[in-house]
Amino acid sequence: MKAPCAGTECLEAAEPRVLSPEFSELYDQHSRAIYYLALRYLGDPQKAEDATHDVFLKALRKLGQFRGEASARTWLYRIAINHCHNLRQTWHDRHIIPDSDSAVWETASAGESPLRILETKELGDRIQRTLDRLPAEYRLLLLLVSDEKLSYEQVGALTGQSDDAVRGKVHRARKAFAALFAKSE
Amino acid sequence: MKHEHKFLSNQQQEQAAEAQTAKTTAKEFASVEELLRHDAAQTTVPPEIAQRLRHSALEIGAPKRPWWRKLLD
Repeated sequence: MKAPCAGTECLEAAEPRVLSPEFSELYDQHSRAIYYLALRYLGDPQKAEDATHDVFLKALRKLGQFRGEASARTWLYRIAINHCHNLRQTWHDRHIIPDSDSAVWETASAGESPLRILETKELGDRIQRTLDRLPAEYRLLLLLVSDEKLSYEQVGALTGQSDDAVRGKVHRARKAFAALFAKSE
Repeated sequence: MKHEHKFLSNQQQEQAAEAQTAKTTAKEFASVEELLRHDAAQTTVPPEIAQRLRHSALEIGAPKRPWWRKLLD
């Protein structure tokens, strides 16, 4: 069986002249973050794979327009968020209904408590189920602020709001997530 | 009692081993962000994405270099 390659190994082994070293580096450094955002935001591994491919293909086409004013991570996130929004508008909102029992998590106090869990194979599924029950905005904000390479200011710029607004919403999103996560046991 | 252990049945030993495993894999996350970072670190990017990108790149041709890169070279 052929051993799977990872990151730029796949790109470079394939056709080094097609992809510039800059692009290979870009993919190597940011593909996990973009794939993870797509995976947990869209909630479907196949759609996340397609979205990640499309995001990097757009980046490849637009590499000449990238001026280096924003960080590459922020630039890629912007492409990814727009792409995922478009995908969600076409199918996701019709199929995934956030938890309507918002009173449960709006009043919850579990947001600041440590989350003690057993690490199991199902952890990813449980996280996904919890995220699926959150409003899309909360889901996106939590995914973005969990990236240590992004500041609140950058998350605000990516989502079109002030960093103070991001802080407030993330606080509520944390409480909502923790309450729903506890219920998902 | 120390000597009790060797008289445990196979089933009891398995249960004890499972309980021990569960204990050692328990994790505590200080925040939702930490939990998500852990989840992200466990997530593997499918290698098919890079392979598909290579094919797509062949179709669209070599990417243009950013204008500012040319100034730096």
